[in-house]
Amino acid sequence: MASSGVVVLDNGGGLCKAGFGGERDPAAVVPNCLGRSSSSNRKWLVADQLLAPDADVTSVSLRRPFDRGYLVNPELEREVWERLLRSLLRVDPSSSSLLLVEPLFSPPAVQRATDELVFEDLGFRALCVADSPALVHLYEASRRPPGGAQCSLVVDCGFSFTHAAPVVDNFTLNYGVRRLDLGGKALTNYLKELVSYRSVNLMDETLIIDDAKEKLCLVSLGIPRDLRLARRSGKDNPFRCTYVLPDGITHTKGYVKDLEEARRYLSLPDGSSTAQCGLKEVIEFQDDTEKLEDRRKIDLTKNEFNLTNERFLVPEMLFRPADLGMNQAGLAECIVRAVSSCHPHLRPVLFESIILTGGSTLFPRFAERLERELRPLVPDNYQVKITTQEDPILGVWRGGSLLASSPDFESMCITKSEYEEIGSTRCRRRFCR
Amino acid sequence: MDEENTGPFRRTSSRTRKMASKMAAALASTDNRTQAALARLEALESDNAGAEVVEINDDDDASLDEDDQVYIQKKQSKSMKRKTRLAKALENAKKAPRTFMEVLQDANLEALPPHVPSYLRAAVGPPSTTSRRHFCTVCGYTANYTCVRCGMRFCSCRCQVIHNDTRCLKFVA
Repeated sequence: MASSGVVVLDNGGGLCKAGFGGERDPAAVVPNCLGRSSSSNRKWLVADQLLAPDADVTSVSLRRPFDRGYLVNPELEREVWERLLRSLLRVDPSSSSLLLVEPLFSPPAVQRATDELVFEDLGFRALCVADSPALVHLYEASRRPPGGAQCSLVVDCGFSFTHAAPVVDNFTLNYGVRRLDLGGKALTNYLKELVSYRSVNLMDETLIIDDAKEKLCLVSLGIPRDLRLARRSGKDNPFRCTYVLPDGITHTKGYVKDLEEARRYLSLPDGSSTAQCGLKEVIEFQDDTEKLEDRRKIDLTKNEFNLTNERFLVPEMLFRPADLGMNQAGLAECIVRAVSSCHPHLRPVLFESIILTGGSTLFPRFAERLERELRPLVPDNYQVKITTQEDPILGVWRGGSLLASSPDFESMCITKSEYEEIGSTRCRRRFCR
Repeated sequence: MDEENTGPFRRTSSRTRKMASKMAAALASTDNRTQAALARLEALESDNAGAEVVEINDDDDASLDEDDQVYIQKKQSKSMKRKTRLAKALENAKKAPRTFMEVLQDANLEALPPHVPSYLRAAVGPPSTTSRRHFCTVCGYTANYTCVRCGMRFCSCRCQVIHNDTRCLKFVA
């Protein structure tokens, strides 16, 4: 590796993505937390050790350096970063520059703590701070044919919150950003609550429920129809599926019992429901073979739980937080408010290039549902076009990698000597935050 | 109306601040329903649902003021032999990680002029329609009825029976 390379670090509340500038994929995508299983004796597992195949994921109590999306605990973060830098990336900080991706609107205390961590504790040579919407826009613009619109609306559904940010010319319009305080963490906690209320008590099992959420949850296109379908019993229910919990002996991670069964909902017709719909579906499902019957029998030796309507009720809270009792508008309204706070000439252009990024957009049918909700709220003469990135989790990192490999990157950094001379606050003004 | 003195030194106003009336009522009320709803929303943001494994901090009431720093210095310089309980608690408060809400309070974002975007102004506000859908807590279907004792929703008699047997008022102190 180059001796004066650039380390690109996308510091997220859930996952930390790190790698070298100029490469296509990050070298390490690890959970940004420390975890300790209640059964193991007091050893804290850092970051990627939690992902190891033999790690015990039951009843892990987690400590996160992030709280509500901002870095409040630099000591914990330092442990995660040290593990990343020493063991996974194997790079020496004193000879590399760092491109750090920070969330928007960081309070000055958090910024100062981060600067201290980067320069004084780890000893990087130079630092450049970027924010995620600008990087996503940069990456997408480089993939589009040149001459396209130079602005877009980036919707980032992350771990701690969701931002709708207009970006013009690689510059985020701060006054137009709107934030929804719901993200992957809230979704996981909501699923934990639902499952614990209805079947097994899983309030402590964050990692297991995370896995179940990623594999099984989907976005529904019509809640009343789907709720009716989910009420049916047995084979007629296209949503029912089972998740098997780990038992520590035969398998240490949980898994979905029957993946094809979990995908049956895909054969549901789209569009508004009629009385004939129900009949058609019943006929479709009657030609299951005998082989599937054995797989679906409840295995009493294993610990497992069923999910029916929780599969689509959980992502539903992103679109309607009022259902939970939260006094916040949904995702579609968030986008509309973000765009309305921009100049009227900019609005049609922004609606035409909406980019979805962030791990929580990976639910199936997310983009379709968002378009359906958004279309009635947008004036008729504007076009609405939603693009999903090919890899929403790595999208920001790839933008950072592009930025790091651009020729004028060096002039955008602050070096350690500059930081020591003028201090953190004045250095930050260079990034116009 | 506003007694605040905006001289060269900013003095805090003596007028009591008005919170949103519903919020204040909810926080002050001993009504189980609003408390349970608020507790539920708080739980959505928590990392560990069970009892927090806090190794250091025993004293929840300890918090740091400017005088405490002086106090700690004085105590440490005097004698290192015996630490009083208060000094120990203050030390623990210093070591405990701060939450984001505390950091936000310290940042004092209301003091910024209105054209500067900030964390608080970026929040998307309340929804345009206040109607919400309710879901049965037992099975998840659309709920039309409310339990008279605890306020949870259910959709049918069967779910009501299950609710009364297992859950009604079981978690309320």
